[in-house]
Amino acid sequence: MNMMSDLNSATACLLQMTDEHFELEDYQSGVPRWCTGCGDNAILAAVQRLCRDEALRPEKTVFVSGIGCSSRFPHYMKTYGFHGIHGRALPVAEGVKMARPDLTVFVNTGDGDCTSIGAAHWIHAIRYNMNLTVFLHDNQIYGLTKKQASPTSPIGTRSNTTPRGSYLEALNPLTVTLGVQNVSFVAQAADWIPEVLFDIVKAAYHHRGLSFVRIIQRCPEWLPKALDPWMHDPSKVQLLTHANGLQSSAGLARVYKNQLEHDPLNIDRAREIASSTDIIPVGILYNNPNVPCYEDLRRSDKLRTADLTRAGLNAELDKYTVWPQGAEQRAA
Amino acid sequence: MEADTQAHVAFFLTGRRPSEHLDAVDGLDLRPALFAGYRDLTQLRYDFPLVLVAPASDRLFVQSLSGLVDAALATAARGGDAERMRKHALRLEQEVRVLVAGGAGGSLSALWDKAAARLARGTEKAGGDKSLADSLRRTRAAIKIDGELADCDAALPARLLQHAWSAVQKHKTVDFRKDLDRLVLSLSNILRADFERSAAGRSAEQLKQSVGTGFDAAFDFEAMSRLLARALPKDAFPESRRKRIRGLLDVLGAQQFFPSAAASAKKGAAAKHYCFLFDSCADALRAFRERMPRLIEVAKAIAIAELEIDGQYSETKHDALFEQFGANGLDPQDLAAFPDYLVCVNAEKMLAEEHAQLMEILSSGLPIKVLLQIDDILEDSGKAEGGLSSGMRSRQIANMAIGLNEVYVLQSSSSNLFGFRERMLRGLGYRGPALFSVFSGASAKDSGLPPYLMSAAAMESRAFPAYTYDPSAGANWAARFQLEANSQVDLDWPIQGFTYENEEHQRVSEDLAFTLVDFVASDRRYARHLARVPREKWNGSMIPVDESLTRERKGLPDKVPSLLMVDADNVLQRVIVDERLIREARRCREMWHSLQELGGVHNSHAEKLLAREKRAWEERMHQEAEAHAAAAPVAAAATVTAGAASGAAVEEEPERSPDEAYIETPRCSTCNECTTINAKMFAYDNNKQAYIADINAGTYAQLVEAAESCQVSIIHPGKPRNPKEAGLDELLKRAEPFL
Repeated sequence: MNMMSDLNSATACLLQMTDEHFELEDYQSGVPRWCTGCGDNAILAAVQRLCRDEALRPEKTVFVSGIGCSSRFPHYMKTYGFHGIHGRALPVAEGVKMARPDLTVFVNTGDGDCTSIGAAHWIHAIRYNMNLTVFLHDNQIYGLTKKQASPTSPIGTRSNTTPRGSYLEALNPLTVTLGVQNVSFVAQAADWIPEVLFDIVKAAYHHRGLSFVRIIQRCPEWLPKALDPWMHDPSKVQLLTHANGLQSSAGLARVYKNQLEHDPLNIDRAREIASSTDIIPVGILYNNPNVPCYEDLRRSDKLRTADLTRAGLNAELDKYTVWPQGAEQRAA
Repeated sequence: MEADTQAHVAFFLTGRRPSEHLDAVDGLDLRPALFAGYRDLTQLRYDFPLVLVAPASDRLFVQSLSGLVDAALATAARGGDAERMRKHALRLEQEVRVLVAGGAGGSLSALWDKAAARLARGTEKAGGDKSLADSLRRTRAAIKIDGELADCDAALPARLLQHAWSAVQKHKTVDFRKDLDRLVLSLSNILRADFERSAAGRSAEQLKQSVGTGFDAAFDFEAMSRLLARALPKDAFPESRRKRIRGLLDVLGAQQFFPSAAASAKKGAAAKHYCFLFDSCADALRAFRERMPRLIEVAKAIAIAELEIDGQYSETKHDALFEQFGANGLDPQDLAAFPDYLVCVNAEKMLAEEHAQLMEILSSGLPIKVLLQIDDILEDSGKAEGGLSSGMRSRQIANMAIGLNEVYVLQSSSSNLFGFRERMLRGLGYRGPALFSVFSGASAKDSGLPPYLMSAAAMESRAFPAYTYDPSAGANWAARFQLEANSQVDLDWPIQGFTYENEEHQRVSEDLAFTLVDFVASDRRYARHLARVPREKWNGSMIPVDESLTRERKGLPDKVPSLLMVDADNVLQRVIVDERLIREARRCREMWHSLQELGGVHNSHAEKLLAREKRAWEERMHQEAEAHAAAAPVAAAATVTAGAASGAAVEEEPERSPDEAYIETPRCSTCNECTTINAKMFAYDNNKQAYIADINAGTYAQLVEAAESCQVSIIHPGKPRNPKEAGLDELLKRAEPFL
């Protein structure tokens, strides 16, 4: 009976009429200035998809970034954004979240921004566990300043600062994060597997607490061949699957046969898996929804009205005011 | 706190409001919380306004404007500017909706032009917009139909039904005319043949006329006449038959049930034909009875004419039969060829006698279709009776009509009429009486809600459920009675998600049931049964109405039913309700339950039977299990492994030929390499992943280059399409690793 299909149409029943429908274009802003072939594009596409699928209202969404290629991210999102100070994306985002808990806050930070100059903030943001979604765009090089080694560059990386090859073992952001108290969500994605990237981005968004997603990302300009061994040999990528984590689709299973069932609540096993660098794990390493969020513990119940903010700002500014000579006597 | 709760309970029981604890809701302009998003209907896309398609056919007589625009965009908006066209067309649709809501009437084309002009004026200040005119022109060209626009208002039910009715009648007229013309022609031919065979028909003069002037000198018509006269048949055409045929032609020519061909050719000068549209049951019934003898005469003439044409009419056999034709009335099949009567009445204006006439029409099986329009189902019948209203009672006419067993019954609020368009046609095509009971929502003047919202709310709250009963659909209730049009049929009250922002700017979502009380609360006349609880006095003793309805009350209540409503500034308010409305809601729920049972939802007979069968089955299983327990459990293991194997089977992707160019789109990492090479050949889909949009938009060289530069190697260039492309040999070699 085709009448039933009429009744199921979006316009048939009044109370099902709410139309909060978004298109990808509603979140796109400008043409990215990233190089052609850059992995940042894949991350941007996945995040825009997430916004559309979850119908995130642009005026209630904020992207905060630091400095670097990845940190141009907020420019390309038609939402609120803050392209901030080098290494300080996380504290800025925490401030936003504390003042406006109703906003959805994302953080885009690079390997230099997060694990070098911003390392202290990174550690403490994990410990604070505020409800943020953090994407670490890890291309293992300083790209914006044209090729200098970063803390995550593999040992032996030749760059402008390490012409004879870098001397130190690369820092592993996963093991560091998993070692901090109060960690609640850690995942790893690779930009060349968009399906898994999107699933992880989505899971991270739905996690309440700080979700830390390290995205291994190609830099076609400065390290064009660095990730080839993993890209061209799918068996060197290990997909982590679990009933409470990601599920692998049929198409994915055909290419990525190396799969491991891993319970995201098992932190010891997660640390073990995270240490593997020859075979890179992709999936959710750790997800514990029961870790308390800092904003729940510490946020004041006072309603933050515009007047309150103005009064507070004025009080702060007054501390630095240089009064004209004699003003105090006159006032007295 | 304690005092507050006591005040609430007192209000619940008595309806009296102590001023320091509770506020009156008069003048607060409250509406149910679920309506917060529907302040301005012109900003939303929904079925209305409707286009009453002209000329209407009995398949397509009404369309929704939004449906038309969607269909037009699906055909016209393709290619690069599709998105732009969609946006412009939707803006225009909204403009038309605004015009219609403002009271503008007219055809779709007129209002379309008017709205387009308004939009164009709007963009003029911004320097004009050529693309707007282009989008609108192309979208308009894709809409092939036209007709009057109708909004959801008090006039809608009658307008829509009359429109459908005319479409059905037009179809009938065409059929009848075709039949009639055939009969008249054949009968005239018989008379003509008779004349040709008579002496007069073969006179020299007549013969000369039949040959025409060209060759009249070539014949000797006198001689021809003499020759033919000798061959005249002996058995002349009986005079009685000639007379009968002339009589038939007279009757058929003078019928007044359908406009004659001559009348439709000459406007105004028409030989008058009957009107079948009435606004009173008594008039319709009277007209039907008065016209009955004429109708029998025409039906009889048609029956005799059919026999006459086949040459089967035998006076000895048929004269006596037709003498008594129609004495016992006509059977529905004969009646079906004639027009149906349509009566449009308004429940509020009906007097007792009119009610009686209506019941007579419905119970008599006559082909009369009745539209019973109800504008107000909440009219208060006064304090003494306790029942809600006469409007609520008139809704019961539909229930009674179902009991008559041979009446097509359609009940719906006007908001749902578009969804019921096919069922309306089925009702109009039904051979017996049909009742269309429609709530228009036009009493909305008392609530400040638009009629559309009012009528939709009536249906949603089960105050006026939509259903159809079609006696021609089958022999049992399952086939005849349809209740599915209501939302969430299997629940007592439909549950809708409601989202709001709390004081801390947090988005809060909860599920609200839309009950009769929500519907009634939107009507100002019921304000005295409601009381607003100031926010600081909200407490745990207030429970939602649907929850309160499920509670059994013993002694004094400790919980008071409450509603969420919003005021004019969309601020959430909590309102408690007195017992009278709860009583009404309970009644309404009982009525809904009985409808559910008729519609096969939670049917008590079926449930009883099911429980019995389940018990029997469980017992049988139990016995079998015990019997099997003794046997060896070897077979079980085999079935388990088989099951696991079938579960692991993976879905297969379509097999691709290596000659075909394609992209493994789900693996695309959106790196812009291919789109930079040729943005026409490669494009992004909805998820911003690349596919080959137009293989002919570029060269094979570009395909190969894209395959080589693709970061994730998912572009497969296939074989070249143009054998003359330069450097193919080299390109093919380069393409090899990607095939």
